Amino acid sequence: MRSVVRRGLVAPSIVAALTLVTLVVAGSAVALGVLAIGAAAIVAYHLWNLDQVTQWAGAALDAPVPHGRGAWVETFAALHRRARSRAAQERDLRQVIDRFQQVAAALPDGVVALDASNRIDWANPRAQAQLGLDLAHDRGQPIVNLVRQPEFLRYLEAGDYATAIVVGSSRDAGRMLALQLVPFAVEQKLLMSRDVTELEAVARMRRDFIANVSHELKTPLTVISGFIETLQDLELDQDQRTRFLQLMQEQARNMQRLVADLLTLSALESEHNPLAEERFAIAPLLLELSADAKALSRGQHQIALDIGEAATVQGSRDELASAFGNLVSNAIRYTPPGGTIVLAWRVDADGSGVFAVRDTGIGIAPEYLPRLTERFYRVDRSRSRATGGTGLGLAIVKHVVLRHQAQLEIDSERGKGSSFAIRLPARRIESAPDTGARIAGPGAGESAGQAPGELAPTSTEAQPGTAP
Amino acid sequence: MSDHTNKQFDAEMESIRSGVLSMGGVVEQQLTRAISALEKEDDAQLLDAVGENEVAINNLQITIDQQCAQIIAKRQPAAVDLRMILTVSKIVNDLERIGDEVKKIAYKAPETYGNARLARVRYYDATQALGNAMSMLRLALDAFARLDVAAAAEVIDRDTAIDAAFASILRQLVSYMMEDPRTITPALEIVFIAKSIERIGDHAKNIAEAVVQVVKGKDVRHASAQEIRAEIAQP
Repeated sequence: MRSVVRRGLVAPSIVAALTLVTLVVAGSAVALGVLAIGAAAIVAYHLWNLDQVTQWAGAALDAPVPHGRGAWVETFAALHRRARSRAAQERDLRQVIDRFQQVAAALPDGVVALDASNRIDWANPRAQAQLGLDLAHDRGQPIVNLVRQPEFLRYLEAGDYATAIVVGSSRDAGRMLALQLVPFAVEQKLLMSRDVTELEAVARMRRDFIANVSHELKTPLTVISGFIETLQDLELDQDQRTRFLQLMQEQARNMQRLVADLLTLSALESEHNPLAEERFAIAPLLLELSADAKALSRGQHQIALDIGEAATVQGSRDELASAFGNLVSNAIRYTPPGGTIVLAWRVDADGSGVFAVRDTGIGIAPEYLPRLTERFYRVDRSRSRATGGTGLGLAIVKHVVLRHQAQLEIDSERGKGSSFAIRLPARRIESAPDTGARIAGPGAGESAGQAPGELAPTSTEAQPGTAP
Repeated sequence: MSDHTNKQFDAEMESIRSGVLSMGGVVEQQLTRAISALEKEDDAQLLDAVGENEVAINNLQITIDQQCAQIIAKRQPAAVDLRMILTVSKIVNDLERIGDEVKKIAYKAPETYGNARLARVRYYDATQALGNAMSMLRLALDAFARLDVAAAAEVIDRDTAIDAAFASILRQLVSYMMEDPRTITPALEIVFIAKSIERIGDHAKNIAEAVVQVVKGKDVRHASAQEIRAEIAQP
């Protein structure tokens, strides 16, 4: 006999026995009373337990199963086992889901799950950042309400998702996103987003390079050939001839500079050109730079030199001289007459050596900083060319910096001035504190109207996105 | 949105909302183009694209307005729905006006090219102000998509920054014009550009105010920033 039935029969048997005993001892009326009370108690007991089960079934899913007695022990125990195994299953399932979400969250690309009517169902954090979504509020929002680029809308409606589209990010000016829809299950879609700003920039740089080189060479050539024609066709007096020849020479020099810069760049890029390591004192190099700077400025700027701690540097002197020189000539070209330019060298506490050029020039808006070291990139074309820049200076600096495992740190505020610093790693610096605390360049102090020793130490904090 | 027994009505309401936002997307794209017109010189294709989009924006305005009129005629909406339809029609109007201003900027920009001194104002100050106006518009449209009054309040706050940028550009230009009368003609063009940017900021603010109105049911068009914040704070 099943144990539930067996246990269920215990109480009725007791009641029946009691009734029989009372019938014998006290007569039929009392026995009938005992039977009625016993039956009522049994019914009440079962009803009470039934109510417990009903309440439990209607309560929250994780409510504990009540304890039972007698006939109900097994029922409640079975329910209890069932609830436990369901909880365990749910835990396992949740772990699987969690793991999937973690995987999706760790993806380097953004992923948005869209339902059949293109509403946002789920998105990983990267997609939320790239597309400006906030899953807490945007679940159920049609994706086109927040990703509003008309190209995307057309792409979504056209229904041909074989290739990705590239759209400008509306959240982060200048960033490019590749968006692709991938249908899955029934009518559902995944929207994949990837930041392709760098890829696009490389492609654009390649396209621009040839066009730029030809353009840069064509401009001086046009001027020179124009003058040659004039000299051939017209009888000119001596003064005019001299002036024309001077202008031609100027243009020829521009071309020479450009070709020289291009050659430098290709030499720096070449794999067959290992870095010519040598050890040299930094101070004489700085004095040379300061003298060159004064020659280039022709007395229009105040130029100060601040050598914090003399040191010996290991690296290519020629390359570093060219990189430092480019920073100095940039500072002079982008600082209006009367401005101040400070060339500074210091050795930081961590042993790295920093060469910094600070100017009080026109400064650079932050959005232009990342593109600054691209070839021929100019924030202001007309100005750059008018001051004799080739557009390759910072590209050269970037390569030299890379070859020396150094860092280029740019700190600039529009209208206030810029600070360009090259930080050479500690292992390339050998500080020599004895040989020269604070050497002033010849005449540096007078022109700055300030003793170089008084100059505050340069502060060149790394700016985001500027390290090459 | 409240639930209607009539699913078709829901779909229609949803469709005009998405219509407004897709029109907003086109306007945002126009703004990106106007920024590149200010940054770069010599881009004739850009101006063609701006012209085409302007036509698209005008058509969208007409389409959405017609949809609104149809819903009013067919469904006689009340309360929240009526408010939403009236707001949509207001926002569409502002978006179309922004489109007009953007077109003006893109077409005027080439007339200021080639002047090195003014180029700085154009490159930096005007571009930056336009970038700010664009992020205001983006925020306002996001606020409309999410019916998020806090974001709408931020847009309303930001408008003062655009106004300040306009005043600063104006001061700079006046000093250039006094120094060198030859800069007057291109400087005046930049004044118009800056004015257009300032107007874009105003329209973005209008959109944000419309969002507050549709959510809170209160007209905050002429309220001060404090009053608006107080209104938003109320549940």
